[in-house]
Amino acid sequence: MTATTPELETAIDRLLLADANALDSKDMPGWLANYAEEDQASYYCRAAENTEHNLELGFMFDDCRARLEDRVTYVNEIWAGTFQDYRTRHFVQRVSHRQVDARTVEVVSNFSVFMTPMDAGVTQVLAAGRYLDTMRLSDDGGAKLLFRRAELDTSVLPRYLVYPI
Amino acid sequence: MAETTLTWPKNYNEVPKAAFTRADLYADEIRRIFHGPEWHPIAHESELPNPGDFKTMRLAGIPLLISRDEAGVVRVFYNACSHRSNQLETAVMGNKTEFECPYHRWLFNAKGDLVGCPNPREFLPGFDKADYPLGQPRFELFYGLIFVTFSAETEPLDEFLGEAGETLRELMAGDGRLKLLGYQKVRYDSNWKGYNDNDGYHAPLLHAAFKMLNWQGGKGRQYTCTKRGHVCFESALSVASGPSVLKDKELIAFKGQDPSVGSRIVQLFPTFVSTKHLDVINLRFANPVDAETTEVHYAYFAHQDDDADMVRHRLRQSSNLLGPCGLISMEDASIFHRIHIGSHTPGNAIFQKGVRDPGKLESEFLQNDESGNLPRWEYYRSAMGFERAEA
Ligand code: FES
Ligand SMILES: [Fe+2]
Repeated sequence: MTATTPELETAIDRLLLADANALDSKDMPGWLANYAEEDQASYYCRAAENTEHNLELGFMFDDCRARLEDRVTYVNEIWAGTFQDYRTRHFVQRVSHRQVDARTVEVVSNFSVFMTPMDAGVTQVLAAGRYLDTMRLSDDGGAKLLFRRAELDTSVLPRYLVYPI
Repeated sequence: MAETTLTWPKNYNEVPKAAFTRADLYADEIRRIFHGPEWHPIAHESELPNPGDFKTMRLAGIPLLISRDEAGVVRVFYNACSHRSNQLETAVMGNKTEFECPYHRWLFNAKGDLVGCPNPREFLPGFDKADYPLGQPRFELFYGLIFVTFSAETEPLDEFLGEAGETLRELMAGDGRLKLLGYQKVRYDSNWKGYNDNDGYHAPLLHAAFKMLNWQGGKGRQYTCTKRGHVCFESALSVASGPSVLKDKELIAFKGQDPSVGSRIVQLFPTFVSTKHLDVINLRFANPVDAETTEVHYAYFAHQDDDADMVRHRLRQSSNLLGPCGLISMEDASIFHRIHIGSHTPGNAIFQKGVRDPGKLESEFLQNDESGNLPRWEYYRSAMGFERAEA
């Protein structure tokens, strides 16, 4: 697909918002559906502090499609009923993008995530940072995540994470 | 100063819930325990592998700077200028062989010597740079693990560790020649003792993963040692068998050596926890921020002799298994919060599992007993000077 800039921007923004919506709805299959059906589809969540010191370890290290599928199992089956649930609201804003080839575009966007624990009901910021994405473009004009790294400015999380950022 | 008091129940298996929640105890805990005669692990030297590497952190409020000089020697300093105590270094990690205080431009080398200051002729008569090095707390290294204490009274580190030292050495790959993989840092809404009261009883019950993966708890021992009640676990490795709900089985694979003792935990009074499980080597540096908040820096390591595949495996396993969002540990994080909330109720927390005689303290336990925490509670009581009720 050779997209014009407005078409490409629309495809990117649709995907960014679909992901925010799936996460904020706690719809883990919906979250997974935003990723490309390729073995190397991956999601990482890591403090920028680690990256800056060449430390690859992260909060979440799902470097293949199988691990993305397992994360749906963690949240929906393994951890069910053990944690204090919380609402999130993701605010995402595309800041730059670069088309690599006909099927691939690299996108940087800022995010902030508000968290409201269901028990306490007091809203606070869970994390702020950048998504470093590589997206796959399809013939129908849609986009999927091939690679996403949620790189957190927040090096000390204010609580444990259940859902991906 | 008025002493804080809290009457302790007569039975060793009962802990007053007020110990978790009474804000007035906190200042006393800082004075008697965190700034008192205890050793506190603050880093492993492999976190600063190269000449000039440094790390900063705060231990119960006290800012520390750990640096490795050009010759490779590691030292611990107070992270405060020797002039008027401006915080000297603000980066969490980095590489520097000189530290300049921006306030009045005093300059220190990585040995802590004051090597320069502008216009000393205008200072106090007789001013000598040699009298103003960076201040240092007492520190000692154990297989690369750096401990500090703020008291001159604290016994030597080997004595403090006791039998736990051997388990800790084994946990750090036998020789402490580690290689840093990275950090997971988090704050828990819990008093530091709530964070620390995690037990061996809960694992197969709280963590559904054990059942879903047909993962039997390994057979092994839990023991406590020294008057402080440091808790150590040594268990045979158990690898999940049978059908797995996980598509990526590498997460729970074991590729290292030593399957007869594949799992170790060493928990030192007051807040340090370390664990080696499957191929994860994890040192958890925990610090109270205030009476209701505990900050934990989970540091993960490979071994220096690992090949690239093993490093990769440890990275993949460490990130997803045992931290604040790990497959078999996220639930613990939630329990820290919930124990803290629930402890704002009257009465005592009463330990059951493994308690044979509430009038006695033991030092050998089954792996899934909760009674292994009781010697540590007894030490806390005595360190705080709380009286136990008469039998
Ligand atoms: S406080 Fe550092 S130079 Fe004065
Ligand atoms: Fe646990």
